[in-house]
Amino acid sequence: MAETPPQPLTLAVGDRVVYPNQGVCRVTSVESKEVAGQTLTFVTMKREEDGAVVMVPEAKVRAIGLRKVAGRADVDRVFSFLRSDSDKANLDWKQRARTNVERMSQGGLMGLAEVVKGLQVLSELRPLPTKERELYDNARHLLVAELAASLNIAEVDAEDSVDVVLFPPGRERPKRTAEEFRTGAEEDGIELGEDLLELGGEMELGGEAEPEEAEAEAEPEEAAEPAAKGKAAGKPRAEKKAPAEKKHAAEKKAPEKKSAAKKPAATKKPATKKPAAKAAAKKPAAKPGKKK
Amino acid sequence: MIRLVTLDAYDPKVIDRLCKVLYTAFGVGCEHAGDMSVPSGLSEPYDAQALLESLPSPRAYADDKILYLTSRKLKPRSLLSGDVPSNGFANQNGPRALVTSAAVKDPEAGLKQIARHAMHQLGHTWELHHCLDPRCAMYPPWTLNYEAGDTFFDTFCRDKSEQKIRLAKS
Repeated sequence: MAETPPQPLTLAVGDRVVYPNQGVCRVTSVESKEVAGQTLTFVTMKREEDGAVVMVPEAKVRAIGLRKVAGRADVDRVFSFLRSDSDKANLDWKQRARTNVERMSQGGLMGLAEVVKGLQVLSELRPLPTKERELYDNARHLLVAELAASLNIAEVDAEDSVDVVLFPPGRERPKRTAEEFRTGAEEDGIELGEDLLELGGEMELGGEAEPEEAEAEAEPEEAAEPAAKGKAAGKPRAEKKAPAEKKHAAEKKAPEKKSAAKKPAATKKPATKKPAAKAAAKKPAAKPGKKK
Repeated sequence: MIRLVTLDAYDPKVIDRLCKVLYTAFGVGCEHAGDMSVPSGLSEPYDAQALLESLPSPRAYADDKILYLTSRKLKPRSLLSGDVPSNGFANQNGPRALVTSAAVKDPEAGLKQIARHAMHQLGHTWELHHCLDPRCAMYPPWTLNYEAGDTFFDTFCRDKSEQKIRLAKS
């Protein structure tokens, strides 16, 4: 509903609305109450899923992002979006997290579909980290609940309808490669993390130890990002990880990586460079002293 | 507690093994709650949803899940975006699930396949959604190679089902 021009949202008892990140609610009352000397109109809603009650001041209904349940036209647009093959996953975890949070709270039904599809596409390259797996599940839950409410069908039918599009019967799920994502990322001026390049799309999807592994990958990425995006910062990280956590998946790669990581480090640290840099640093310091 | 109700004759060994698999998967007890017959007025292949709704419930507690097992064929389900073959049915967060073993000639040999579908449908009754991991039983069941998979939940689905079961008990 965010796509349509903003109109004042008039709510009446019995209306079905969607509270962002909470799900489908039904308005149970609209009444005035005196709070701290002010008379405010409150909209009281009951979440359909579990009966939780929410009260929102009428003036804040728009700001919160409350909206009516999507109509048939929105549903059709969502299905055509899910069917399309155009989506590329954003590999920058910060940007991805920011846009996904925005989509969840402000994006309406289409925003939920974008989160689901975006994370699904990303999962075709590598397993999702735990937080994103949770986000995927939440988005899917909200999407399915709203579709079911909108089409007046059971949730299980709504979910299967979505998944028939996302996982077509009798077709293998595509396996994405890092190369595929790299071109997309470079167009947007985003640098690929070394973790992703290392995976190279060879890693199998799923697995019991995946989320922990993926999370562990994400965390050093977080820590390293502000410090330095350059190659120098990435290589020691690769050295540390290879022996520790990728025993089974990257055993063959590890010796190559180690040597690849160590060689440039050795070649980049020639004894001649440091003195030159030091001398360059010392010279300007000495000159002003002499001039004085 | 999972209560297994058979709608057709099965070897007790098969039922025992299926109960063990479900117990291992969900961490809750599973027992055979008896046999029932398919209500009259419905014909094969059955509409899974209609069949499930028409079946009587055995004696059970409020947080029990009832799994009906049949060897009869189920109709493909027509959905908004296309038709999908049906090996079972369960409503999200519902108390009952239905699974068919029609695709398996020998239930003893194909127990893994039946158990995987049973886990999937019971997962829906504990509010699990479809999963992204092809090895997980919650992966969409109409996909290629689903039936060749193991009776396994990925970490996320296992944690979520455990949490839901714990909440239901409390």
